[in-house]
Amino acid sequence: MTTEPGGRSLQRRLLASMAAGFAVLLLLISLLLWAYARGAANRTYDLLLAGAALAILERTSFAAEGPTVDLPHSAMEILALNPDDRVAYRVFSPSRGEITGTAALPEPGRALDDAPHFYDAEIDGTPFRLVSQGRRLTAPEGREWVGVQVGQTVEARRAQQWSLFLNGMAGLAVVSLIGLGFVWLAIRRSLAPLRQIERALRHREPADLSRVEGRPPREIRGLFDAINGFISRLGQSRALTESFIADVAHQTRTSLSALQGHLSLASDATGYDEMRARVLKADRQAQRTVRLTNQLLANAMVIHRSDRGSLAPLALRPLVRDTLAEMLRDSRLRRLALSFEDEGLGEGGDRIAGDPVSIREALRNLIDNAVRHGPAENTVVVRLAEAGTEVVLSVEDAGPGIAEADLPRATQRFTSISRETAGSGLGLSIVGAVAEGHGGRLELGRSRLGGLRAALAFPRLMALLLFGVWAAALAPPAARAETLNIFSATDGPAMAPLIAAFEARNPGLSVSYSEFQTLTLHRALLDVAPGAMPDLVISSAMDLQVDLVNRGLARRLDLPNELRPPDWAAWRSELFGFTFEPAAIVYDRRRLAEDELPRSHRDLASFVRDNEARLSGRIGGYDLRGSGIGYLFATQDAIQGPQAQRLAEAFGRADLRSFCCTAQMVEATAEEEIAFAVNVIGSYAAAFAADRPEVGLHFLDDYNLVMTRTAFVPLAAPRPDLGARFMIFLLSDEGQGLLATRTPLIPIRPPAGVETPILHQIEAQRGSFLPIRLGPGLLTYLDRLKREQFLSGWDASLGRAVDGHAP
Amino acid sequence: MRMLLVEDNDDLAETIMDRLRAEGHSVDRERDGEEANALLRHAGFDIVLLDVNLPGRSGYEVLRSLRSRGDDTPVMILTARSQIDDRVIGLDAGADDYMVKPVDFRELSARCRVLARRRAGSASNLFAAGPLSFDRAAKRATIHGRDAQLRAREIQLLEILIDNMGRMLTKEEVADRLYTFEETPSLNAVEQLVTRLRRRLEGTPLVIKTARGLGYMAYVADDD
Repeated sequence: MTTEPGGRSLQRRLLASMAAGFAVLLLLISLLLWAYARGAANRTYDLLLAGAALAILERTSFAAEGPTVDLPHSAMEILALNPDDRVAYRVFSPSRGEITGTAALPEPGRALDDAPHFYDAEIDGTPFRLVSQGRRLTAPEGREWVGVQVGQTVEARRAQQWSLFLNGMAGLAVVSLIGLGFVWLAIRRSLAPLRQIERALRHREPADLSRVEGRPPREIRGLFDAINGFISRLGQSRALTESFIADVAHQTRTSLSALQGHLSLASDATGYDEMRARVLKADRQAQRTVRLTNQLLANAMVIHRSDRGSLAPLALRPLVRDTLAEMLRDSRLRRLALSFEDEGLGEGGDRIAGDPVSIREALRNLIDNAVRHGPAENTVVVRLAEAGTEVVLSVEDAGPGIAEADLPRATQRFTSISRETAGSGLGLSIVGAVAEGHGGRLELGRSRLGGLRAALAFPRLMALLLFGVWAAALAPPAARAETLNIFSATDGPAMAPLIAAFEARNPGLSVSYSEFQTLTLHRALLDVAPGAMPDLVISSAMDLQVDLVNRGLARRLDLPNELRPPDWAAWRSELFGFTFEPAAIVYDRRRLAEDELPRSHRDLASFVRDNEARLSGRIGGYDLRGSGIGYLFATQDAIQGPQAQRLAEAFGRADLRSFCCTAQMVEATAEEEIAFAVNVIGSYAAAFAADRPEVGLHFLDDYNLVMTRTAFVPLAAPRPDLGARFMIFLLSDEGQGLLATRTPLIPIRPPAGVETPILHQIEAQRGSFLPIRLGPGLLTYLDRLKREQFLSGWDASLGRAVDGHAP
Repeated sequence: MRMLLVEDNDDLAETIMDRLRAEGHSVDRERDGEEANALLRHAGFDIVLLDVNLPGRSGYEVLRSLRSRGDDTPVMILTARSQIDDRVIGLDAGADDYMVKPVDFRELSARCRVLARRRAGSASNLFAAGPLSFDRAAKRATIHGRDAQLRAREIQLLEILIDNMGRMLTKEEVADRLYTFEETPSLNAVEQLVTRLRRRLEGTPLVIKTARGLGYMAYVADDD
């Protein structure tokens, strides 16, 4: 026999309360730790903000029209040390207004001074951490303030705060577990006396009902006494059982002896009348013996069934009706006026947890008693009624009843109140056992009919409200045509094979492809109505894409690791590059021999200077004002070092010709209009040059800039799932393979086994490629002032008049 | 009446047979369930008294195959099992009544008579109990040979009660059988009808017993 599963371990309970104490302690510490982690994360990342602000302030100066700034690339690079967060900056003059950057960033609650001031603010609903710092410039009219605000979203701070917090908590958790381990040991030790009792009881013979000896600690003396008390009650109970068996033996033997006596007297009888009288007595005695046996069996059955937990939900009304109807078939009951009343019972009010077999037995015994002890024409009323939380089954009769004084004895075994009717003395005791087995009680009293009223009260089952569970009837998704809407600044023919393959893989899905110029696409996304957002935005202009993402327009995509492009070609898990497009030189093989080609950017400048006469007017390059790619390559060259300036001057003296696009430059080279062109897009150039054997493709040895075509799924995309699906397709082996073989583009992650001449050439010069990193650094040259300064510097180097118009 | 007793205990079988024969019935006895089953295929009886624990084939199996042959001979189950669940199985299997051993012979005779009455009432067109006779085909009841002058509904009720002799019928069951769907069955009307019929049958041994809250049961009084 085992204890009920509900009995919880003492050890566990002690441990649980200790653990609860630890938990409260942990909670307090965690609050402190949380605040500390927040401060620490802020201190770390505030340094970046302060550094960027200082770098910008240093480059503020006073020009003719007022304060101006030459936004340093280093400022954005400092911010990009935190690779995930979006940035915002603003340079302004308190007296003259905005100079550059995002207008009207939230201001700190205090006046500008030359110390950095950090604060938190929300920009378009996204939390930002900002720094504000000022500098006094010397102006003709005196000194004048210029202010800088630099801000970053707080994702990295949050991540670091969580990381600090969780590490701290993990340490604390380990310490707590060790502490709890000690507690556990201590508890085990102090519970040792209990195990001692357990051993004492476990090895005991079942017949041994002596007291458990020992000197228990004060805390469990009560338990000890209770166990000994129970043992002595068990002893009494066993004594009772033994006396019951003795009683049963006595009763049956007596009954059978009487029967035997009557029969042997009958067989010895000499006269017929004497014998007949004896036999009649024997018959009556036999009937009593039969009844006694039946009652003993019923008693044993009821007690046995109450042990087994055979209770199940049960409706009393039909059970009582059926039992009564069945009993009435007995011809002895024909003169009994039996009625059944259930008016006091509501619908479903008769439900109890019961055992039908025992209840039927109890009811039979009650009615049997009424018949046996009452007059021949007895009246019996069986009534079912609700009484609070109970259902009462009562049987009343018009018989003699039991005297008030005898009532307490009536349910005792083998106590027959009436001598004449000579009951077995078991009937009411069986009924009492049934009541007890159901957690109810038996009440005996006087009936209004004059006889006994026996009432069985059962605890009622509360009406259960069963709520039907309706599974949400999800209509099967209708097979309707779906449309993926792509806005792209990449020519349609290049993307067509990818789109066709994607549509073939996704039946029922069609792709709507809208083509834009890079700048128009950028503007379109800033102006588009929320409902008209595309599901995917693709552009070759890395800086403009970074700007869109930095404005919080993109949606986070959790790509599988094997699909993620290299680090430089992904930002914030929102913007992903899918091509690898190096800047290259195309040259006319008829004019220039391969071995005379320059090997580095420095060589290139000398080469142009040395061959100035021969190359004058025959060098091609991008029109920086008209071409986003050209501008991107030129500014990135400028970041690489001072030779960019020298190169520009050399190009200026050689009268650089400006082109709009790579195709035209390749065309011009093929037509012998120019000798070579710089910073063309290698992928396109290679594709065009494939048909023009006279055009060569050349990479330098020091570095070759690499740009990547990027895509993101807008936050407000109507079908972001479709956009993400296309993105995954672009980066998958299948998409990358198609890029390599079916389009002029070069995949960023060429799948194994795919070989093309340009991939081969790139592989040969691996190590010289310098990818342009996606990130806030690209925002530097998007700054309006910076762009103007760069372009006018470029024009000046080329020896052209500065027209002063921004594109 | 021709009866079949299927009982494997010889002493008990002997006493029952003696008792029933003393009442003028002809009684056959089988010890084995298998043999009893074979006998029942060929021979017809008015009542079968069937023990449950039998060698060969259990009483329930004998009963089930009897009923599956479409034989509706009244069957009384005799069992020594005290668990009432078993009795329910017996009744569900198609028994007409059951008794728990040791059986009281007087009670056994009385129950057998009820079964015989019920069978006779539905099997033949003529039912007779003392001075009362009821001609099912002519829909006519006579007492001492005189027309009892029962109304159509009373005749209907009498027929229902005779068909269910010794069995408790609830008021609702009676109403269901008396009235068609179109008529609104009124429980009050049933009560009044029963009271009227009981008055008409005064002086005959057919008793309509009312158990308030339970229903009605008919039996023939002079059988006891």
